[in-house]
Amino acid sequence: MAVKRESGDTSHLYDGKTVRSSAPSRKALAGSAGIGTEIPKDAIPEIEVPKFIESLLGGPIIPKMKFLKPDKMVQNLQLAVYGILAALGFLTFIVSPGAGTIWFMLTGSIGLASIIQIVVIVAACGLGFYGVFKRDGRFLLGSQLLFILAIMRFASSKVSLSFDPFGLADNNFLLSTLVVIYAVLLIMYIELSSGVLRYSMLDTSIRTNEVYVMNPGKIVGKYHRALIINPVIALILATLVLSANKIVPVIVNIFNSDLAGQLRESVELTSVYGVALGTLFVFLVVGGLFALNLPTHIQNWRESSGE
Amino acid sequence: MLGSLAIAMYLLGLTLRNSQLVTIAVVIFVFLTWAALFGGHADVSASGRRSEEWTGEEGVALGSVSAMRKMSSARIFEDGELNVTLRMQNHSGLAKILEVRDRVPEVMRIKEGSNYILMELGPRRETFIEYTVECPLRGFYSLGPVAVRIQDPFGLFHKEKELHVYNDFLVFPKMEDLKETFVKSRVPKIFTGAVNIRQPGPGSEFYSLREYFEGDSFRAINWSAYARSGKLMVNERERDAVSDVIIIVDSRAVSETGPVSRNALVYSTRAAASLAKYFLGRRDSVGVITYGDEVVSVDRDTGKKQLYVILTKLAGAVAKGNTPLQVVVNRIMPHINKGSPIIFLSNLEDDPTIVNALRDFRARDFDVTVLSPSSLEFEFDAKRLNRTGYEVLKTERDVLISELRGLGVNIMDWEPDMLLSTALAGARGF
Repeated sequence: MAVKRESGDTSHLYDGKTVRSSAPSRKALAGSAGIGTEIPKDAIPEIEVPKFIESLLGGPIIPKMKFLKPDKMVQNLQLAVYGILAALGFLTFIVSPGAGTIWFMLTGSIGLASIIQIVVIVAACGLGFYGVFKRDGRFLLGSQLLFILAIMRFASSKVSLSFDPFGLADNNFLLSTLVVIYAVLLIMYIELSSGVLRYSMLDTSIRTNEVYVMNPGKIVGKYHRALIINPVIALILATLVLSANKIVPVIVNIFNSDLAGQLRESVELTSVYGVALGTLFVFLVVGGLFALNLPTHIQNWRESSGE
Repeated sequence: MLGSLAIAMYLLGLTLRNSQLVTIAVVIFVFLTWAALFGGHADVSASGRRSEEWTGEEGVALGSVSAMRKMSSARIFEDGELNVTLRMQNHSGLAKILEVRDRVPEVMRIKEGSNYILMELGPRRETFIEYTVECPLRGFYSLGPVAVRIQDPFGLFHKEKELHVYNDFLVFPKMEDLKETFVKSRVPKIFTGAVNIRQPGPGSEFYSLREYFEGDSFRAINWSAYARSGKLMVNERERDAVSDVIIIVDSRAVSETGPVSRNALVYSTRAAASLAKYFLGRRDSVGVITYGDEVVSVDRDTGKKQLYVILTKLAGAVAKGNTPLQVVVNRIMPHINKGSPIIFLSNLEDDPTIVNALRDFRARDFDVTVLSPSSLEFEFDAKRLNRTGYEVLKTERDVLISELRGLGVNIMDWEPDMLLSTALAGARGF
């Protein structure tokens, strides 16, 4: 007779029966549970996806960046932008008379075009002031676009002024210098206004401990130096480049004075094509230097020898 | 943007023969060229290649910047802190304004200092960046690469380089100190040890009383019992011995259901680490098996070294795959001593073979303890599961647990806020 042994095995209880041994699929339940099946809000991270226009401009324009109260550096930058903005607005008004603007093309009325032009310039300044005050990239972008729109000219013309109390129009050199100064101010406005945003971000990041800055004085000092040096150099170089059509006859004069005389009197060379030709010549030389990798060699030399 | 604007103005000016537009365009070109030439980005502008394409020594401005990193430890426990020192060197004779970001794994938190620095690094100088990271989750991690960026003052051009300096480190699951696990083997090994097994023999814990036989030591006589019964009675003690303990950790993809820091796998690995430490401290032989997309096992062994081997395996356990428990049981069954305690850590989800697999263990008289961290609680707490769904799933889970309990498995529905020792006691019916 077999002895019945005690066993912990309880499989005999289940033999022949179907036993559900796992919980039902969570996904299946989520699909049929009715209310509350939506994805919880906290599960979705906030991502700033740049829109088409923003992506053209290099990334998302973050409208609600919470900047902390500006520090002295940012406040100084803001004051500088205000000054440049005022000068830029005034110069834009001077160098972009109503004639030749897109408004003149659309309306055919010089009076109306002038009024629209003034409105655009005022709007550009207003947006710029507000954007810098609020440190909001959207308004600054709008302001920059309006300035560019204001300066766009859709007519063949030499430089003409809408307001000329000093008689600058009589001197071609002064006239082109005025336009160069205008262009430098435009670039400085774009750069400084983006500088306000960059340094505000940096300042906020420093104060929220996201970033640590070593030797902030040196970093800021370098920026301040660049603010002075770069526009001056750009001004000088641009004047030289734009004077290429005048410099070329001087150089040619060394070899052939007759040809130099012809060049000086050439209508083509003194026209916009002359300016373009001179510019092209200069940039071909610069391009050649780049192609020869000269800048890299200069950089190498600076790296190895020190400043 | 400025470049595009300049080109557009230049072309429009030429087309319309408008010298004003051409002049403005030329000024912008000059400004950009100057910035490119003398802003430390000549190498980028020279070839027209994008900065990301630079490798090795090609990047002149950043080629002379190097980084080294030192860590306070290569192995830490969860919630531990790691001190990192990053040494940045500028080998060139030119001062540079650098943005340095040492990449830290996303789950880590910077506790002190900063891994993102903006600095002016002087010519042929070096600087040390120190920061402390808090490591809340177990795993294999790497610090690095070090991203370095240099840009001109106006931010017109920038160049980035990743310095491929990596430091690997391990975060072990944190452990709970256990006083008692209530897990005892019925099958001793030949060596005596500190663990009581359920057999009488040489030991320290009381087991039972029995009548005196010739040869018994007089010291074992229980005089109180003798006074009560009139017969000579001796104390029997539980035999202290070394036993094998097998810990099975479920690391299938489903085990990570719930928030990153609160899910079944996190709890299971912490429990496995604590149990391994406890048993190894008692000179038991401990083996660990983790299964997910494959079955990974640490052979049974004793000692402190074994603890680190187990901790390393647990640190690397990744929620992946869906291997059924039955496969694991079939594979390990021939290799483990009959009657050894088996501790199974799983949320018991999405595996129809669990009941059969545990029944196989019980059929061979293994002492099975199941601790089941409830994914339902994690998900419900994180508001990812509504009340109705929670109730339905909870009922299903309770049915399954009752079923397993019916097989003679010591099982505990481990709720998130319950201590491991409490859960173990609960599994044993205390």
